Amino acid sequence: MRSAPAGWFRKTLRDWREREVRIVLSALVVAVATVATIALFASQLQHTLVTSASAFMAGDRQLEAENGQPVPQAWRDEANQRGIATARVVEFSTMVYGGGRFQLVSVNAASDEYPLRGQIEMQATPEAPRRQVSAGPPPGEVWINPRLLRLLEIQIGDAIEVGNRALTVTGLLLRQPDGGFAMSALAPRILMHDTDVPSTGVIQDGSRVEYENFFAGEEAALDAFYEWLRPRLSPSHEWASIRDGQTLSDSLRKAERFLLLGGSLAVLLSSVAVAVASRQYALRQRDTVALLKTLGQAGPHIARGYLARLTAWAVCGLIGGILLAIPLSWGLSLLISRLLDQPMAYRMDWLALGPALATALVALFAFAYPPIRRLRHVPAMRVLRSQPGETGQGALRDGLVALIAVFGLVWLYARELELVLALLGGLAALLGVLAVMGWCLMMALRRVSGGGNAWRLALVGLYRHRRASLAQMSVFAMTLMLAAILVLVRSSLLDDWQSQLPEDTPNHFLINIAPDAVEDVRDFLTERDVSLGRLYPMVRGRLTEINGQPVRQAVSKDEEVNALNRELNLTWMEALSDNNAIVAGDWFDAGQRRGVSIEAELAERLGVDVGDRLGFTIGSETIAEPVKSIRTVQWDSMRPNFYMVFPPEGALTDLPATWITSFYLDPSRKSVLNDFTASFPTVSVLELDHIIDRIRDIVGQVTQAIEAILALVLAAALVVMAAVVSATLQDRQREGALLRTLGAHQRLLTRSTMMEFALLGGLAGLLGVMAAEVAVWALQYRMFEGAFRWHWPVLIAFPVLSAVVLSLFGRWQLRPVLQVSPMLLLRRLE
Amino acid sequence: MATTHPILEVRQLTHRVNPGNESLTILRDIELAIETGESAAIVGRSGSGKTTLLGLMAGLDTPTEGAVSLDGEVISQMDEDDRARMRAHRVGFVFQSFQLLPSLTALENVMLPLELASHPSPAHQARELLERVGLGERLQHTPRQLSGGEQQRVAIARAFAAQPRILFADEPTGNLDNDTGQAVSDLLMALNREQGTTLVMVTHDEQLAERCQRRFSIEAGRLSEPALAAGMEVDE
Repeated sequence: MRSAPAGWFRKTLRDWREREVRIVLSALVVAVATVATIALFASQLQHTLVTSASAFMAGDRQLEAENGQPVPQAWRDEANQRGIATARVVEFSTMVYGGGRFQLVSVNAASDEYPLRGQIEMQATPEAPRRQVSAGPPPGEVWINPRLLRLLEIQIGDAIEVGNRALTVTGLLLRQPDGGFAMSALAPRILMHDTDVPSTGVIQDGSRVEYENFFAGEEAALDAFYEWLRPRLSPSHEWASIRDGQTLSDSLRKAERFLLLGGSLAVLLSSVAVAVASRQYALRQRDTVALLKTLGQAGPHIARGYLARLTAWAVCGLIGGILLAIPLSWGLSLLISRLLDQPMAYRMDWLALGPALATALVALFAFAYPPIRRLRHVPAMRVLRSQPGETGQGALRDGLVALIAVFGLVWLYARELELVLALLGGLAALLGVLAVMGWCLMMALRRVSGGGNAWRLALVGLYRHRRASLAQMSVFAMTLMLAAILVLVRSSLLDDWQSQLPEDTPNHFLINIAPDAVEDVRDFLTERDVSLGRLYPMVRGRLTEINGQPVRQAVSKDEEVNALNRELNLTWMEALSDNNAIVAGDWFDAGQRRGVSIEAELAERLGVDVGDRLGFTIGSETIAEPVKSIRTVQWDSMRPNFYMVFPPEGALTDLPATWITSFYLDPSRKSVLNDFTASFPTVSVLELDHIIDRIRDIVGQVTQAIEAILALVLAAALVVMAAVVSATLQDRQREGALLRTLGAHQRLLTRSTMMEFALLGGLAGLLGVMAAEVAVWALQYRMFEGAFRWHWPVLIAFPVLSAVVLSLFGRWQLRPVLQVSPMLLLRRLE
Repeated sequence: MATTHPILEVRQLTHRVNPGNESLTILRDIELAIETGESAAIVGRSGSGKTTLLGLMAGLDTPTEGAVSLDGEVISQMDEDDRARMRAHRVGFVFQSFQLLPSLTALENVMLPLELASHPSPAHQARELLERVGLGERLQHTPRQLSGGEQQRVAIARAFAAQPRILFADEPTGNLDNDTGQAVSDLLMALNREQGTTLVMVTHDEQLAERCQRRFSIEAGRLSEPALAAGMEVDE
């Protein structure tokens, strides 16, 4: 065997001297670099986002046991053995005694490790600065909600009694990382150490206790642990990852999808570049092949030679691309990590290089190989005389193979059939439009006759090179379509996020307002110029029956419906909330007393339709109501949202309810809260401003990442265009030189060339952006859950920009023609 | 048709190129005058500088020293755009390697100079010329579909398309076999006579050179006009 790596390398080095090979290799390097950069960066970003999002739930995963039994120690041991860190919080309600008074509190007793992610915010005294700490109080101490100081009339340093155990108050508990969204904690909360729990004697058999377990570690380990754990879980166990949460996970999922989309587009773009350059290479190799055949080499032997060559290029492209991708992704990660609270170490995820490897192989063997493979059919006769019409053979089949390959690749990469279909649909639409447009254009251009005028010369040029013009336009349009898709998705994604959390998003919730205090609360806040959102009554109850059947039997076992595991907040209202929309049935008629409106996703998972009867258990009461309507709910709106809504004067009205509302409070007016809690000690105030800020931060980080990916993909698009333009470089230069010889002056040549390219670019841009709208229209709804709208700025900017960029390319291409004497150029190009 | 003032005049022309740091003199002290309607051949071995001289005379490049006048205007002092204008209206070219644009049909190739000279009906004129050179049936063929001789005939049609005052030919039969070369040179001479064009060609084909009224030889960058050829008229 002679084909040792050194031999390959030498051959590739020799190939490098050929311009087309340089383009193929450059395109390949860019392809691998882009895909690898995106993959590496996406993996790093994922890690970053997961870490920062995990901070909201004090771990990467949560396991909650609502059955009053602690989670078996064996489960935690198993997790630890898998390299997963664990922490535990026991939650229960009890009366505490202090300052001569009793008060109902919600106790959190945390292990040393808590929180695994994120930090606890506390104050040593009411006047001390707020501090972020990464562990709760040590044994013997307790941190309490500031409200308790007033309710019990005690001071920091005093002791309170929790059951049989006296604990010293050493701090004020302001916020726990995982405390944000839970509205169940209506009583003031205290945080103590979990080793003190047995000595309190509070937890007896049958006590209502929840055991929260936190897990943190590598994603793969966590997933594997969950696989191990899943068969052991009972219905009262609730496993949660950040992807299951509502607000954050939506943003994360969209960001992940965007990265995948970006990566897929990069794959497509790079493949186009490789295809264009290798086709050019194959065309130029025909004479060589004919000569080799004349010299006695057989077709299959020649084909094997080229295959070996392609393999060598694949290796070089892969190495080059990865060498480029590592510093690039590192740089991008640096950009992102600056935005994080804690700096993060760069992790090299070797698995992420898989897609890059696949890209290199598919790009070369599906795109570059077919035209090169056909070389073996080049007749030896070509040495004597070129045969007309031998260039287009099998191009259609090649195209089909390439199309299937690349979509297979995108599918493999993004695992989103919708994405693949939307791209395929967009491309098909584009090609259809191109065919029609091209035909019309050429018909129109046929009538233009040439002249000394630059415009006419440009139009004639377009017509004369119609095959090349149409081919270039198709590639440009496709490239621009892919870039436009990303731009469009990016803008609507960012718009979406911005409109999701506008400036005046409610950042405080008031919970547990007694019915007779509703008016006072409203007056209190209105007097202080705080605009209060709607007030909703809230009754807590469980969904127990569907059409008279126990809900556990009615719902198939495979469905994990979290809403069934806990009490739901039920409400009644007269008019539908702004952020709700009816998707089936009708809203309650005025005066209607029967019926319930259910949230759409829950209805789908329960298999509930309009007309089904839902039975609820509320305290000791049971009620049953027919489903009147199904609603979508915007969960991330930061307003009170409900799974179940009843009509006013309906089934809930006579049951004991508390009221809930939300409002926006400017950060500078935090003092209003102190007055409020003094006036309404029983009302719980939930401060969400911190969480909203954090979400905005994350959206900001994701936005930066998206911009970076966009820049990469646009760069890839530029490389494609350069590859396409330089494929015809030699012909164009020869033509320029000849035109100059025939007396075209420089300005005419420059103008007509720039105009020709501008026309090409403008048309390609217009077609591309229109096709992108079609694809985005399909993508938008399915993947990013946004509404379709026309994007006029992009529709105008893209054709203009591509016209400008291409005319500059044209000018650049003409440079040697203008600088060198035409005689020299003609000789050089011969 | 012929007037007495020379259509092409070269005075004290010296041309140097700088490959690397060395200065290489390609042409030295060339003196030459061609009258309107004359045909002249410049013969010499490969590398003697004859094609460079042709390019300088046609205004495709400017000489290091000396002057070239074409049709009474000193083109060696013009800027590139003025020279281009001059070429568009008064100069035609025939090249050894034909220099047809591969993506254009025969008709479109011939139309090129007509379009650049803003001719009112370039297609009509081009068709007539192609019929004249015997390619009336091959109008829509691209160069790849034509033989060498046919390609050179298209190139000749293109050269005469804009009715130039002077035609420069660089080894017009150099890439063709004897018979085809003969046919092409017959065509070139015939068209030259019909249109009263001045013809200046560079060749190493002695037979072709002898068909010109004047014959110059170039050796190591120096031009001479052997006495026996001067004023001689050779024709079939």
